[in-house]
Amino acid sequence: MWLTFRATFIRNFITMKRAYPWSFFVGHILTGVYLTLFAFLTYHYVFDQSMDGQFQSYAETGDYLSYVISGALLYTFSVSLLMIVSRALITELREGTLEALLLTPSSRKGYFLGYLSQGFMRMGIEFIAMLLLGALFGLTFSNVNLLATGTVLAVFITCLFSQALVLGGFMLQFRDTYLTQNTLFILMGLVCSITFPIEYLPQSVQWIGLIMPLTHGIDAFRDVFVEGAGIIAVRESIYWLIGLTIIYFPVGSLFLQRMERTVLEKHFG
Amino acid sequence: MRWITGMWAEMVKSHQHNFHSKMIYFSLLIWPVLLFLTSYYSLKPFNLEATSPIAEFVDPDSIMLFLLTGFLGYIFFWSLVQSAWQTSYERQTGTLELIFLTPVSRLAFVYGRSAGNLFEAAWLFTVFSVLLLVALGGPQSIIWSALPIAFLILIISAVVWGGFLNVVFLFSRDASILFTILEEPMQFFAGVRLPVAAFPIWGKVIAVVFPLTFVLDIFRGLVIKGQHLSQLSTSLFILAGILIGLIFLTTLLMKLAEKHAKQSGNMVLF
Repeated sequence: MWLTFRATFIRNFITMKRAYPWSFFVGHILTGVYLTLFAFLTYHYVFDQSMDGQFQSYAETGDYLSYVISGALLYTFSVSLLMIVSRALITELREGTLEALLLTPSSRKGYFLGYLSQGFMRMGIEFIAMLLLGALFGLTFSNVNLLATGTVLAVFITCLFSQALVLGGFMLQFRDTYLTQNTLFILMGLVCSITFPIEYLPQSVQWIGLIMPLTHGIDAFRDVFVEGAGIIAVRESIYWLIGLTIIYFPVGSLFLQRMERTVLEKHFG
Repeated sequence: MRWITGMWAEMVKSHQHNFHSKMIYFSLLIWPVLLFLTSYYSLKPFNLEATSPIAEFVDPDSIMLFLLTGFLGYIFFWSLVQSAWQTSYERQTGTLELIFLTPVSRLAFVYGRSAGNLFEAAWLFTVFSVLLLVALGGPQSIIWSALPIAFLILIISAVVWGGFLNVVFLFSRDASILFTILEEPMQFFAGVRLPVAAFPIWGKVIAVVFPLTFVLDIFRGLVIKGQHLSQLSTSLFILAGILIGLIFLTTLLMKLAEKHAKQSGNMVLF
C-alpha cells in the first residue's frame, strides 16, 4: 500500500508542476479573492459601513468583513476539496490511465490516500494564501481558538469528503465534470451562508443549505475562529456534520462502486 | 453575400455543436438565475432603507429591477466569454486549421461564432428577466417601446466584444486565465450590481475600461428611466467610439494572428 501511496503522490506532484502552470493555482483561489475584495469595496466605499438592522442577529456578529472573508475562505477550500476528490477517477478515464490503473494489482486504498495527500498539500498552500489575504482586508485573528478550529476543520473535511464521493458518482453517471460540479458550486454560493446569512432566504429554500456540509462548517468555523468560542458552543453544527457524513459516506461509496463497474463495461467492453 | 454565407454557416455550426444535450440548459438558465439570486441576497446584509448611502444613486426599493437589467447585460457579455473560450477546443481538435484553409472571410467566422453563441446563450435568460420584470413591477415598470432599440444596442455591442475575445483566443491556448481574471471585475466595476456613480473616483476610472458600463447605462436609461436617446448621447458616443476601436483592433489582431500562425507552424501546434 505504501508503495502505491508514494508513487501516486509523486506522480501527481509532477503532473501539477509540469502540466498545470501557476494559472491553475490562481484560478482556484480567484473566486475567494474576488469575494473578499469586492465585499471590502462594497462595505467601505459604496455603503459606507452602513448595515441592515437584522444582520447582527442573523449572523451573530456585527463584523461584516470577517463574516464574508471567512465565508470566502471556506468556500474556496470546499470547492478545491470537492474537485480533487470527485474528479480523481474521471480524470484517469479522460487521460486514458484508468484501464492501466485498474489492471495493476496496486492497492486502491494507497492510491486514494496518495491522491488525497497530494491534493491536501495544494489546498494547504491555497488556504494559507487566502488567510494572509484575509488578514490584509480585515479578518480578525485575535480570538482564534486553535484547538476548536482544528477539531471543526477535521470534522468538516471528513463530511466534505463524503459529499465529494456522491458528487464523483454523479460525474461518472453523466460523464461530465463541467456542468455537474459548477451547478453544485453555484448553488452552494447561494444557500451556504457565504456572503449573507441563510436566514435572509425564504424559509422554503433554507433546507437546501442545511444538507450542505459547507453551511455548518462555516457556521462553526466563524464561531471558533473569529469569535473564539469553544467546541461545546458549536456542538450543534458538529452534530449536523457527523449526521451528514453518516448519510453521504455509504451512499457515495456504493454509488461510486456501482458507477465504476458501469463505466468499465461501457468503455472497455 | 459570401460574407453572410460564412457567418451563417458558423452560426449553424455553433448551434449544432452546443445543443446536443439538454444539460446545456443548466448553463443557459439555471446558472444565471442562481447567480442573480446570489447577488440579490448578497446585498441584503447592507442597509437598504431610504437612509442608505446608496439611495442617492438608485432607489433601494427598485434594487431588484436595477440588478435584473444589470445581469441581463452581463449575461449577454458573459456568454461570449464562453464562446471565445470554446475556440480553444476548435484549435485543439484541428478544425480551426481547416477553417483557415478555406477562403471564408476570417471576420465572418469570428463574428458568426460570436453572434451564434449569443442568440443561443442569452435568449432564455432574457425571457426570464422580462417575465420577472413584469412580475415585480407590473407591465408599466418598463418602457416597452424602448425595448427593441435597447436590445439592438446590447446585441451589437456584445457581438463586437465577443468577436474581439475570439481573436484574442487565436493567439494563445492558455488565454482562458485572462478571462477568468477579468470576468468578475467586469461584473463589479461595470455597474451590474451597484451603480457606478456610487464608486469612488478610481472605481469610475476602472469602469470606463469596460464597454458594458456604457451599455448598461444606456439600457437602464431607455428601459427603466424612460430617457430618450438624445439624453444619453454622451454614453452613446463613447460606446460607439469603443466599439469602432474594438472592430479595428479585431481586424488588426486577426491579421497578426494568422501571420504568427504561418510563421510558427500550424493552427494546432502554435
